[in-house]
Amino acid sequence: MAETAVKEKESVFQFGKKERKLLTDPLNDNNPITVQVLGICSALAVTSLVYPSLVMAIAVIFVTAFSSLFTSLLRNYIPKSVRMIVQLVIIASLVTVVELTLKYLNYPVYKQLSVYIGLIITNCIVMGRLEAFSMANKPWRSFLDGVGNGLGYGVILVAVGVVRELFGKGSLFAGSPIELKIIGPTADYLVNTTDSMLFGWYANNNLMVLPASAMFIIGIMIWIQRSYNTKLVDVS
Amino acid sequence: MESTKYVVIFILILTAAVAISLTGLREATKEQSATNEDIFNKRAILTAVQDYLPNGQKVADLTDEQVLELFAQMKQPVVDMEGNIIEGVKAESIDMAKERKKPEAERRLPVYVYEQDGQQFYILSVRGNGLWDEIWGSVALKSDLNTIAGATFDHKGETPGLGAEIKDNPSFAAQFEGKEIYESDGDYVSIKVRKGGARDPKHEVDGISGATVTADGVSEMLYRGLKYYQPYIDKVKQQSFLLN
Amino acid sequence: MEFLNTFLKAAFIENLVLAYFLGMCSYLAVSKSVQTAFGLGLAVIFVLGITMPINWLISEYLLSESGLLGVDLTFLRFILFIAVIASMVQLVEMVVEKYSPSLYSALGIFLPLITVNCAILGGSLFMVSREYNLSNAVAFGLGGGFGWFLAIIAIAAIREKIRYSNVPPALRGLGMAFILTGLMGIAFMSLMGIDPAAFTTNG
Repeated sequence: MAETAVKEKESVFQFGKKERKLLTDPLNDNNPITVQVLGICSALAVTSLVYPSLVMAIAVIFVTAFSSLFTSLLRNYIPKSVRMIVQLVIIASLVTVVELTLKYLNYPVYKQLSVYIGLIITNCIVMGRLEAFSMANKPWRSFLDGVGNGLGYGVILVAVGVVRELFGKGSLFAGSPIELKIIGPTADYLVNTTDSMLFGWYANNNLMVLPASAMFIIGIMIWIQRSYNTKLVDVS
Repeated sequence: MESTKYVVIFILILTAAVAISLTGLREATKEQSATNEDIFNKRAILTAVQDYLPNGQKVADLTDEQVLELFAQMKQPVVDMEGNIIEGVKAESIDMAKERKKPEAERRLPVYVYEQDGQQFYILSVRGNGLWDEIWGSVALKSDLNTIAGATFDHKGETPGLGAEIKDNPSFAAQFEGKEIYESDGDYVSIKVRKGGARDPKHEVDGISGATVTADGVSEMLYRGLKYYQPYIDKVKQQSFLLN
Repeated sequence: MEFLNTFLKAAFIENLVLAYFLGMCSYLAVSKSVQTAFGLGLAVIFVLGITMPINWLISEYLLSESGLLGVDLTFLRFILFIAVIASMVQLVEMVVEKYSPSLYSALGIFLPLITVNCAILGGSLFMVSREYNLSNAVAFGLGGGFGWFLAIIAIAAIREKIRYSNVPPALRGLGMAFILTGLMGIAFMSLMGIDPAAFTTNG
């Protein structure tokens, strides 16, 4: 990608075709997970249920958007020699904000995401976008680029979460106020199940609960995406 | 290339700005976060008496205020390893993780005495090792101090879908209901998680396929953890015997 | 004994890549050939081995309430940990460049990548949440690094071979790498039942 600063004289917050592209490009053609191969770690660890995936996605969008904004605001002042450390400090502070806020608003989800919130810092999407885009672009455009990449990441995260929870637990949004019990389970692998736990006909697939299943699902997603979007096919 | 002075000043200003704003946010959220954590832990303990909550409610139905009120009503003795009640300490102030690091003889054990419709329940806390990391739980005994009214387990890092099922699959904990920790002649046996299906209907529950180490961890944790409470249980039994 | 125990556990049973899926980005990006994978793997062992004890000292003596400052500063751990990692990486880069140009040419390009390798920060965060002592922290760092090294060499070797297989075009490269890692992860799960204490007490 050749992303260079564009000289503009228009108002700061304009939203034209180029800006829209900043938001939509990462959803498919330049998806952070399936194309740029960035930020996989946390994607795999939290996606066994939809709800934490959604919270994680929102947290990442917040961090990418605002770290891009701040970095872009400071881009002319950041000393080149300590560039990485400055970027990391900005990211780490935003992640700390997320951690403190989550602890304040929703403690059970905070517990569930535990170590993985901290790992947003090393989520390469954030750092990657700062290096590739924010250091050379104006604040508003950097902000949009951050939101777009966060969204592209979030879409995959939630999609993996939906597949894993639906086939692994038979429900959707478990643990949230709007838990949907959809297809299962009929009977558990434990002998003494009480009837209240059975809400469908599906026998849970335990493979989907294992972290490895996220690898398979993303692998298959890449397969599907590249079958339609043939320009992404790896020729090597 | 920037001068060293500029770099140093830049870093100092950045660090100061970050430190001040984060400390501010932390102070603003500190109290509420501590309350959240407290309620989270209390809900976990109440899960052990899930079937005996007021008006047939489930733990998830209770509001935060109701949770706090239920705990305010409970008697919360803390006992030492000889079964004597330690005065001036409430069970909810005991951190089991810290107690577990002490030498066995110095540990303090929390007891929550929950009362509903004239029935008494003794909620005891246990803690041990799973496959990866610590596991812990609460076991509620009925007033005979033998029959289990309910149990709940949690873990720090067991494998999702395998060991983590001790928490995620409510049917695992549900099996403990009605089991007894003593033989009919009064010998202590605790409850065992048996791989391949329980054989002794009174003292065993079914294991989780693929999670033998976690299941053994639960058995071991219950055996040792409940044994710590033996002196206390004996004393309570003796007292109620004298009263009758 | 405990040292060896933690080392083996971190390297094989709780493999950072295959059991926790940490450090995935560079693992997938730099595993096209065994040679480069080897270089990156060594660098990870090196950096994990250095940063873990430093971060341990920081969290024990600077951030905890019982530390030197007497204030609970644990909420600042993200920033301090990542700053330590970033500056250590930079320091290592400078030292290696000065004293061993040959090693530098082998490792050099990978060192900046390591700062954003989740396995490094993840190691430090796991160390805190598991309350390791200093020697365990070192063992966990070295073991975790070694496990990461093994995993990336293994996937690189498989990817080199699979290039000659007839994989559907859309699945080639990245897609296949994901699926392979999933399979390796499941294979590694079979090591989970092993009690690492058995190695050390009998042997």
